Amino acid sequence: MSITTMTAKERIMKLFAGEEVDRPPCFSGMGNVTTEGLKSLGYKFAASHLDAKMMADAASTTYKLFGFECGVVPFDLCVEAEALGCEINVYAHSEDLLYPTIKKKLIHKEDEMEISLPSGFQEKGRIPLVCEAIGLMKKDIGGDVPIGTYVLGPFTLAGQIMELNDLLKLSFKKPDKVGKLLALLADAIVMVAGQFQKAGIDYITVREMGATSDVLSPRVFKNLIQPYLKKIFDRLTVPSVLHICGKTNDIVPFMMETGAKAISVDQKNDVAESRKKLGKDALIFGNYDPYNVLVAGTPEMVKETMKKCMDDGVSAVWPGCDIWPTVPAENIRTMMDEVKKYRR
Amino acid sequence: MAADEKKKELLERLRNAVIQYDEDAAKEASREVLDVGMDANDAIFNGLVSGMEEVGRLFEAQEYFVPELLMCADALYAGLDILKPHVKQLDLGVRGSVVIGTVEGDVHDIGKNIVKMMFDVAGFTVYDLGRDVPLDKFVEEQLRTDSDLVCLSAMMTTTMTGMKKVIDDLRTKNPNVKIMIGGAPVSADIAEKWGADGYAKDANNALKDAINMISSLKKLKEEAEARKK
Ligand code: B12
Repeated sequence: MSITTMTAKERIMKLFAGEEVDRPPCFSGMGNVTTEGLKSLGYKFAASHLDAKMMADAASTTYKLFGFECGVVPFDLCVEAEALGCEINVYAHSEDLLYPTIKKKLIHKEDEMEISLPSGFQEKGRIPLVCEAIGLMKKDIGGDVPIGTYVLGPFTLAGQIMELNDLLKLSFKKPDKVGKLLALLADAIVMVAGQFQKAGIDYITVREMGATSDVLSPRVFKNLIQPYLKKIFDRLTVPSVLHICGKTNDIVPFMMETGAKAISVDQKNDVAESRKKLGKDALIFGNYDPYNVLVAGTPEMVKETMKKCMDDGVSAVWPGCDIWPTVPAENIRTMMDEVKKYRR
Repeated sequence: MAADEKKKELLERLRNAVIQYDEDAAKEASREVLDVGMDANDAIFNGLVSGMEEVGRLFEAQEYFVPELLMCADALYAGLDILKPHVKQLDLGVRGSVVIGTVEGDVHDIGKNIVKMMFDVAGFTVYDLGRDVPLDKFVEEQLRTDSDLVCLSAMMTTTMTGMKKVIDDLRTKNPNVKIMIGGAPVSADIAEKWGADGYAKDANNALKDAINMISSLKKLKEEAEARKK
C-alpha cells in the first residue's frame, strides 16, 4: 500500500510502532465529544454518560462529522472512582453542559487511607458500560480510525477519592502512606485498563493531570508518582500515552522514563525545547489549547496554532485536554484541513 | 534592650515557622509571644504574615508549589489560633466578612482555597461554601451572614456562566454587597461586563493581589498606630 493512501488507523498504529508516516495524525486520547455531534443525534450530554449506545454514538460523531482521526470514550473522569465506591453526580436535571463530578468521597480523613479494592472491582460501576461502548464503536468506525480510551493516573485518582488538599499535604508529610495508596490504585488502574483492552481498544491514555506542574513540583513527581506510573505502563499491552498538563518542560524526561509509548503535553509546554531534550524519535503529542484556540479562536488562529505545533515538532496534533464540546464546526474543520495539507 | 531582642527573635521564629511550614514551631513561638507579653497584632503581622509574604514570593518563583503553600498556611493558622484571642483591636477599618465558593458543576477548588486562605490571614470572617455550590446557596448565605463580600470561583467556561446568575440575583436582593470573581477562564472584561466589583487574574496575580491587600492592611494598621502615638 502506498504511503499516501493510509487510513487514519494505519497511520496512527504505524506511528505508535515507530514507523514512518506521511504526516502527523490529528487525534486525541481524551474526551472529544462535541455539542454539534450531540445535536445531530438529538442526545443530551447528561444522558450520554449512562448509556453505552448513546456514549458510542456521540463519541463517533467527531469522526463522522469532522474526520477527527479517532473515537474515544468516556467523557468524564469518574469511572474508576465510581467503581471504587464513590457516588457521582451527572447533573441529570441540568440543560447546561456540566461534566459528572464525585458527590461523595471514599476517604474522609488520614486514617481511612488504607482501603482495599471491592471484590469484583473490574465489573463495578460503569466499567462494563464503557467496555460495551468500545465494542459498539469498534464495529461502527473501528475500521477507519483507532478506538481509544483513558484511565486516570494514580495520583489524580487519589484526588478523586479523597480531599485533594489533604492528599497534597500528605505527599510531603506522609509520603509512605500516600505511596501505599498509590500502589493500590495503580493495581486498580491496570485492572480497569485490562478490561478496556479486552474490549478491543487500540490505544490508551493515562491522565495524570492532578500531578500537573502547575500544582506539584518536579521533585515530588519524580519521587512519589513516577514509580507507580512505571508500574502501570509496564503492564499495559496496547500502545500507551501519558498525559500531564501545565508547564511540563522540566518533567518531560521523567514522563518518557515511565515507559509510555508517547507523552502528551499541553499548550504550556515548549515543544521545540522538549523535542530537543528527548530527541527526534520520541513520540510527543500536543499541544494546542482546546478552549482558547479551538473554541474561542478564529479559524486564522486555529491555522497558525496547528502550523506552530507541527513546526515545533509534535508527532501528532493533539489537544492539551478534553476537546471542549462547544467547538465551532468551522474551527475543527479548519484544524483537520491544516494538518492534512502540512508537509514537513 | 533584652526585651527588644527577644521580640525580634520571636518575630523571626514566627516568620520562619510559616516559611518552613512547621506548625509546632509556629505554636511554640506564639505561646512564647503571649508569655513575654508581646503584642499579638505585632506577632501576627510582622511575624506570621510576613512569613506568608515570603511564601507568596517563593510560589511565584516556582520554588514552592501548591502543597507547600497549603502547609505554610497550616502553620500560619496554628499560630493564628493561639494569637487571635489576644488581639486587642483587630478593627482596622477594613475588616469584613466574606462568602466564598466554587460555583455549581465545578469541582476545581485548589485556587479557591488559596484565595480563601488569604482572607483568613487578613482577619476576615470567612464563610466557605466549598465546591460545586448550588447558585442559590451564595445568595442565601450572604443574606444569612450579611457579609460584605461574595467571592465566586469557576475554572470552566461553562460553569463560569453560573456566576452571572449569582451576580444578578445578589444585585436585586442586596445592592450593597461587593462581589469578586476569579478562576482561569474569567477575565477583567467579563467581570466588568457582568457587573462584578473585583477580579484577580491567575494564581500568581491573585496571590499578589491578596498580598497587596494584606500589605495595605498592614499599612492601615501602622497608620492607625502612628496616629495613636
Ligand atoms: C487540577 C485540575 C483538575 C482536578 C481538580 C481537583 C480540584 N479539587 O480542584 C480534576 C482532575 C478533578 C479535574 C477535573 C476536571 N477538569 Co480540570 N483541571 C485541573 C487543572 C490541571 C489545574 C487547576 C488548578 O487547580 N490550578 C492551580 C490553581 C492554584 O490555580 P487556579 O485554580 O487558576 O486559581 C488561581 C486563580 O485562578 C485565582 N482564582 C481562583 N478562583 C478565584 C476566585 C476569586 C474570587 C478570585 C479573586 C481569584 C480566584 O486565584 C487562584 C489562586 O492564586 C486545570 C488546567 C490548568 N492548568 O489550569 C484543568 C481544567 C480547569 N480542567 C478542565 C476540564 C475540562 C476538566 C473536566 C471537565 C475533565 C472531564 N473530562 O471530566 C473535569 C471537571 C469536572 C467538574 N465538573 O468540575 C479544563 C477546563 C476547560 C474549560 N472549558 O474551561 C482545564 C482548564 C484544562 C484544559 N486546559 O482544558 N481537573
